[in-house]
Amino acid sequence: MSTYTRFLLACALATGALFTAQAQNVLFNSQRFQNEEALKGALKAIKEGQDEYNAVPPRYAAALPHFQEAQKLNPNNGPLNLRIGNCYLNMGDAATALPYLEKAAELEPAATRNHYVLGQAYQQSARWGDALKEYTKAKPVAVGAPRRGQSVDVPLPELIRRVTECKNGMQLMAKPTRLFMDNLGPTVNSPEADYNPVVTADETTLFFTSRRAGSQGGEKDPGGSGYTDDIYSTVGGGLAWGPSRNINAPVNTNGADVTVALSADGQRMLLHTEGNMGNLSETRLTAAGWSKPHELGSHINTKYQETSASFSADGRYIYYVSDKPEGSLGGKDIYKAEIDGKTPPVNLGGSINTPYNEEAVFMASDGKTLYFSSEGHNSMGGYDIFKSVYANGKWGEPENLGWPINTPSDDVFFVTVASGRIAYLASNRPGGFGGKDIYRITLLGDEKQPAINQEDRLLSTNPRPMRQVLPSVTVPVITPDVTLLKGTVTDVATMQPVFATIEVVDNLTGQTINTFQTTASGKYLLSLPAGANYALVLHNDAYLFHSENVSRPPDAGYAEAVKNIRMQKMEPGSNIVLNNVFFDPDKAVLRPESTAELDRVRKLLEDSPKLKLQVSGHTDNVGPPDANQNLSERRAQAIKDYLVQHKISADRLTATGYGGTIPITANTTEAGRQMNRRVEFKVLAR
Amino acid sequence: MLKYLFLSVALLLAAFPSQAQTPTKVLPTIAKPLLVPAPAKASSLMNTNDAGQADSARVLTPTQIAEQSYQAGLLSYQNKDFAWALVNFSAAIKTAPDFAPAYGTRAATHYELKHYDQALTDYNEALKLEPNNYTNYLGRALVQEAKGNVKEAEKDYSEAMKGGFVYGPAWHKRGVLRFEKGEYQGARDDFDGAVKADRKNAYAYHDRASANQMLGNYPEAIIDYTAALTLQPGMLSALLNRAGAERHAGQLPQALKDYDTYLSIKPDDPLAFVNRGAARYENKDYKGAVTDYTQALLLDGNYALALNDRAAAYLKLRDYEKAEADATQAIALDDKYAEAYLNRGHAREMLRKPEDACKDWRKAADLGIAVGNSYAAIAGCAPAEPAPAADPTADTAKQ
Repeated sequence: MSTYTRFLLACALATGALFTAQAQNVLFNSQRFQNEEALKGALKAIKEGQDEYNAVPPRYAAALPHFQEAQKLNPNNGPLNLRIGNCYLNMGDAATALPYLEKAAELEPAATRNHYVLGQAYQQSARWGDALKEYTKAKPVAVGAPRRGQSVDVPLPELIRRVTECKNGMQLMAKPTRLFMDNLGPTVNSPEADYNPVVTADETTLFFTSRRAGSQGGEKDPGGSGYTDDIYSTVGGGLAWGPSRNINAPVNTNGADVTVALSADGQRMLLHTEGNMGNLSETRLTAAGWSKPHELGSHINTKYQETSASFSADGRYIYYVSDKPEGSLGGKDIYKAEIDGKTPPVNLGGSINTPYNEEAVFMASDGKTLYFSSEGHNSMGGYDIFKSVYANGKWGEPENLGWPINTPSDDVFFVTVASGRIAYLASNRPGGFGGKDIYRITLLGDEKQPAINQEDRLLSTNPRPMRQVLPSVTVPVITPDVTLLKGTVTDVATMQPVFATIEVVDNLTGQTINTFQTTASGKYLLSLPAGANYALVLHNDAYLFHSENVSRPPDAGYAEAVKNIRMQKMEPGSNIVLNNVFFDPDKAVLRPESTAELDRVRKLLEDSPKLKLQVSGHTDNVGPPDANQNLSERRAQAIKDYLVQHKISADRLTATGYGGTIPITANTTEAGRQMNRRVEFKVLAR
Repeated sequence: MLKYLFLSVALLLAAFPSQAQTPTKVLPTIAKPLLVPAPAKASSLMNTNDAGQADSARVLTPTQIAEQSYQAGLLSYQNKDFAWALVNFSAAIKTAPDFAPAYGTRAATHYELKHYDQALTDYNEALKLEPNNYTNYLGRALVQEAKGNVKEAEKDYSEAMKGGFVYGPAWHKRGVLRFEKGEYQGARDDFDGAVKADRKNAYAYHDRASANQMLGNYPEAIIDYTAALTLQPGMLSALLNRAGAERHAGQLPQALKDYDTYLSIKPDDPLAFVNRGAARYENKDYKGAVTDYTQALLLDGNYALALNDRAAAYLKLRDYEKAEADATQAIALDDKYAEAYLNRGHAREMLRKPEDACKDWRKAADLGIAVGNSYAAIAGCAPAEPAPAADPTADTAKQ
């Protein structure tokens, strides 16, 4: 039996309830409609609508005009009202769907499927109590044997899940998340869908996907919703974003090109493209612009769908979503894989993944806070956005981000900037510019408690009021443990930008964590999780390497810093501070963390056989000058000794101590003294 | 001399029950202790023969003459004729310079006349002659307190208390001094002594309740306020304060009932409206709280506390404009009002004035509410002042 025939049969069978219901279900038949042509036209429209409705995937937007055509002749047919309502519901317009579904349930109160769909519409409208009532009416069919004329396609587990979602929704809405949610306005949002925002860690550049007119190739979206997806960018920050620009080829193609992830510095982007059921590709920002995207390796992309991803904080890994059945806990799951490696990806496990779908993963800059969407956990319906923190070797219990970030509809794609206080998401909530719009969220945290006072006339002898001291209140301050470091790299002499490679090294292990590139204008942006002693080593073949040190304890919280770096050409007289050489306090004993820096000097000398260096030690002005002089000499000598031990000819090196006689800044603060305690090398000849 | 001491103490204690006989007093004060004995029967003070007749033939000693002047002085004192009392006591002293009771009574007379320096001199002299006369310590303590010498007063009350609970006023008065210094535990112990000295003294119960309230012992405070009200049903301060203790104890319905009773008797007390407002606030009746704070402000337009608390209630009602306005007005009245800065910070955050909010939270922290800094940090405010450690590229371990 075709679905069309089943539909017509349903229309006919529904008359069984006709005579008992208050409202009359009106059949499409010749007894009721004398105008044969009109009846034929309506039935034809129903058939055409049904074809779209039953397509895989269903084409609700295309089905709707046909059903509405038939509805003109007969607005009181239960199954038709159900279809129209269901179309609207699946198009995300529960408000418009409701009158049709309410009417369908009224016309056919015994058809429990009607109550189930009406319950869904109420649920999507956050009318939890009404939804629960309707789901209760749907339940008998779900648990008992089907009776003639009643729909039987409401599986009990699904019904139970819906009820649970409603209860979750009630709980979550009772304690809304405190936030400001601001539409980014017409410079970013368009009348068509604008979604999947990704933003640099410092919130200065935003990329997103749009179905607006003017897409690459100018093709309409096959689903009838605007044009094919293209990626756009805008610069600015906060609520002041400049005009959006299509980033064009080679990133945007005639097909759908969708933003998925952006590295913290905005130099690398992951895209979802249509090939092979949907794959992940990467593009990099070069001096010439965005490179042509290349698909990630086969250890990540499969013949199944890989739909979303996020870079890890160090940029070496990606967290991504795939619906591949192998290793899945059910539906789409989130995996972690080395981006340039070959090792099999790892499923994040049952703390994160559920038997239902997970989607839209985002790893925050602190390297341990994962945001993702899930249909499981304590969702209030469809996908909700969750947060889980990795600690002590495992993922924490996912926390629903709550109302109004989450709604009964699908809520996917939530990204934060480095501070963790600002987030971006796309939503089709009312008041936008059309379709989904991009919103900026300012997370306000728990309610800040007002302070009231009180006073009493406590002593019988004293009429003067006494104000009583409030008990002290403490509020935990939780910020991401991450340092956002940015600046510009220039030539020390010309002040022109230098295009440099920045190597981030863990001084404790000596391992390079990752390498980054400055932009063509010499700008860089690094997001460094706290809890490590980092060396930042800048390379450019025409220049001496430059090293900086960033060390923050594990619970250092969030910090932003600007460090403009001036690189020196490799020529006699050039002078470099070795910021990653460490000694024991007041001693000339090199600490193990110095090895990586000293090996860079060694390599420099090996690569430039004619290079001769002076190593100089400096102290601050604390303590006796003689002792400082002696310490600086011994430290310079310690470095020379290390290099000589590593096969550098001693006649290429001189070691000199200057004590505290050549400060590079005032010794009046600890920061200043810190800068003055240093080891330098100067190029004597090359 | 001992007979004078006992006489003084007996009359001193007799002075205190009078407190319990003033039920209509709203803000009672402890009656000043009567520091001079009442006149005894002349016969007990004169030389008499066995038949009880005066032996006029005997020559009086200077001490006996002094006693006669002293008795006359007591009568004058009782009649509040302090000028004649002084004449008589001075005559007694002149006649017998070592007649100690006359110094004490003259001191008390000077005290009545607010001649505190002379009173102090006389008490000092009396105590030189009778170092164990606790009544004189009590009297000198009162003089010292009147002169503002709180430390010396407390010391003398302590000496008087060595006489035991019979010196109830000393216990009570030292308790008050300790309470005002914020030494609530010590005050509570002293008031406890005052209660033991006189279990019908409503004021002692009242003040012991106050000390317990400040110590957070709310159930005990409620019991004592109730005892005070039983002894003196018209003691409105006990009713008001019991409501406060009930509020602190979480007994909001009882507190609201007591506030209602109090305000039905005394509807012009802004403090009571503020406190009922606080009870309503804690009962999550924020609109009711606003009504009470508004009423308090109608009675006292410059009541900064009412403005601050109304700002807090407006915050709960999400009326951030009004909250900001009230907090601003409270700050205008008291620019050191930390809670008002904190509340205004909250309002300004919600009014999308983040920089102003940050300033207010920091100011609240500067004024003693440390949580202001936490709120500023949560909201991402810039650090109050850049510290060297804020530079993440600074490595303190280096070299």
